[in-house]
Amino acid sequence: MHLPYPPRKASNPAPYLPRSSPLPGLRRTRLKLIALVALAFITLIYLVSRPSNKHADSVQWKPSGKPPVVLVTVLDEKKYGKGYLQTIVENRIQYAEKHGYEAFFAKVGDYDLKGAPASWTAVVAVRHALTKFPDCHYVWYLEQNAFVMNPELKIEDHVMQPSRLEELMKKDFPVVPPDSIIRTFSHVKGQEIDLVITQDKAGLSVGSFIVRNSDWARFFLETWFDPLYRSYNFQKAETHALEHIVQWHPTILAKMAIVDQNIINSYSKGAKGAQYKNGDLVVRFSDCSTAGKAQECETESQPFATKWRKAFANS
Amino acid sequence: MSLSRSPSPVPGGGWASPGLNIPSGRSSPTRGVTGSNGTPVMWESSRLKRGGSAGYPSFSTKNEGFFGRHMRRLSRSLPRFSTSPYYADKEKLGRGRWPIHNVPLLGRIRGIVGRMGRRMKIRLMVLLMILLSIFTFYNTPMVYHWRRTTWLGGGQKFVIILGANVGGGVMEWKGAREWAIERDSVRNKKKYVARWGYDLEIVDMSTKKRYAHEWRESWEKVDFIRTALRKYPKAEWIWWLDLNTFVMEPSYSLQDHIFDNLEKHIYRDINEYNPLNITHPLTDQYLDDDERSPVGDGNANSVNLILSQDCSGFNLGSFFIRRSTWTDRLLDIWWDPVAYEQKHMEWEHKEQDALEQLYISQPWIRKHTGFLPQRMINSFPTGACAEGGKNPRIHYDEKDRDFLVSMAGCEWGRDCWGEMYNFRELSYYLNRTWWERFKEDFLAMIWFKLTGQKVKF
Repeated sequence: MHLPYPPRKASNPAPYLPRSSPLPGLRRTRLKLIALVALAFITLIYLVSRPSNKHADSVQWKPSGKPPVVLVTVLDEKKYGKGYLQTIVENRIQYAEKHGYEAFFAKVGDYDLKGAPASWTAVVAVRHALTKFPDCHYVWYLEQNAFVMNPELKIEDHVMQPSRLEELMKKDFPVVPPDSIIRTFSHVKGQEIDLVITQDKAGLSVGSFIVRNSDWARFFLETWFDPLYRSYNFQKAETHALEHIVQWHPTILAKMAIVDQNIINSYSKGAKGAQYKNGDLVVRFSDCSTAGKAQECETESQPFATKWRKAFANS
Repeated sequence: MSLSRSPSPVPGGGWASPGLNIPSGRSSPTRGVTGSNGTPVMWESSRLKRGGSAGYPSFSTKNEGFFGRHMRRLSRSLPRFSTSPYYADKEKLGRGRWPIHNVPLLGRIRGIVGRMGRRMKIRLMVLLMILLSIFTFYNTPMVYHWRRTTWLGGGQKFVIILGANVGGGVMEWKGAREWAIERDSVRNKKKYVARWGYDLEIVDMSTKKRYAHEWRESWEKVDFIRTALRKYPKAEWIWWLDLNTFVMEPSYSLQDHIFDNLEKHIYRDINEYNPLNITHPLTDQYLDDDERSPVGDGNANSVNLILSQDCSGFNLGSFFIRRSTWTDRLLDIWWDPVAYEQKHMEWEHKEQDALEQLYISQPWIRKHTGFLPQRMINSFPTGACAEGGKNPRIHYDEKDRDFLVSMAGCEWGRDCWGEMYNFRELSYYLNRTWWERFKEDFLAMIWFKLTGQKVKF
């Protein structure tokens, strides 16, 4: 339908120009003023508010990973023959060189243990390695009577990768066999783990363990090395001290993962723990060292020595 | 009255007020009041204003001056004589008064403001703002919330744990004195906490057998600190206080007194004051530089435990511990059955000696521990550590206005309640307001000089 007239103009036209902006108060000069006032206000708030001081934990220092792994071994030169120790040192150095690791050797008697059994040297040696290589990611302690058998495996990939670790670690698992009340936590994540250790038939096995370089590692090692533990006459010295602190102190238990022995701690004989299979990273001659007969270790290690030399030469 | 202006004496015209004798019932101004002489009456002032042009009505509808503007309002507020028979004599009391309150308050204020000059208005405004700010800040809960807020005053970062009910419960009946001590101590802390916006956690230290296989007496501290950290998630520092303590200067905030300048106040090298003769720093080759340095890493942010030393070593009557993973570890390690089994015969002060032992043997603990001069957080009365006489490092001195007094060891042969009472009174005396000082020091003194009598106002 057509309208007869065009739409009417307003009969009272606006006397002024229409508004240029929806808010007439916001002219440019006003905007400046508002900005200034806002700035002053924010400054005031900034001045009266307290700076939140950085939490001590938040500024934790991160190691750069040079070298990625330090392989620690404590040598007992008084008890064992030179040739045998030489083989062990070569084994460690070759493995370390292959992956860009460092091998760190300590000798029994290097540290003042204040009358504690010589086996405690291992704990201090690992602590010393952390001091000496503050940029390393992991410290792997492997006791003297053992060989690295598989040169291909890297610690970072084979064990310490968080996803890999989550597959490996035994959750809700009694810390001391067969059935201690204290069990490993079932909800820990791979990246939270700072200590990887194994368990043989007698209990935790301290012949081979990996510690991640962290604040916690220092705390753990220093606590483990406490003079009151050393003087307590634990039957198995540092092994039992470790079992003790792991079971009594949840801050330690929460960072520990127990993995299968075959991962880092296979035994040459299957009587006391998992027996060595081809392809395992490590073989340990655990019987001979507890028996304390140096000669036995050397003979037991002979076949493995030729084997690792061959494996390393091939790789 | 029908005029909107009062009759005024004019230089030439005498008291010409012609409208007054006209009994007019109208309230609106008449146009041109006819005077007795037949000409329109013109007031002198209005004639001057209008440039002498006669012939127009004398009143003006413009707002001229106060009276012109407020005539109506004022006249309305005048007493009225009601002629109505219904209301006669009903309100005898109000008769003849000026019911000024009939004018609405807002209207009155508006009137006053309207009569004020612009500059005056601004001045008044500023004054009002200042007064209002002072009021809102100091007389409302605002100051409390300000001091509490983490990013303003930061009070929420501090939690005081007060170990109450020491040795009570099953072991011992509490007598009147013990109750009085507890009441005073708790009230003192409550006041302090309310003033600065901290949190107070009063815990029951009565000796209980918490663990079936062990008697962990006085290691409950550890559990209480853990619980408090969980209960107050914003707390950064926990301040442990024994029951026999008294905050002498409630006007000191913890931030001001200690934490704003932590580097300045604490000492980490124990050789500065070393009653236990601890070898420091550690020198073992296998330790980090931090652990071999006498001051840790030297950064005050890495201090997680702050305590003081008295004449015989560490004192845990008053200490600070910070929320951190380090603290979790310390609280976890602090009580260990193997250490306890070997040492419990020597450890007279249980957790205190255990901490000393840990400090001596554990480098990781040493590097995060700081010490405060004892009198900053833990002054002793002269009865404690009394062997060497009064020691300016240990004993309370009212001239220095020490922050806190700890009646350490008063339960062994000293009068806890007496000490507490004296310190309480001393604290009140030292912290009198200026008005109390004026009354007691000045007025009462004058009165004493004049009459020889002691009075209390």
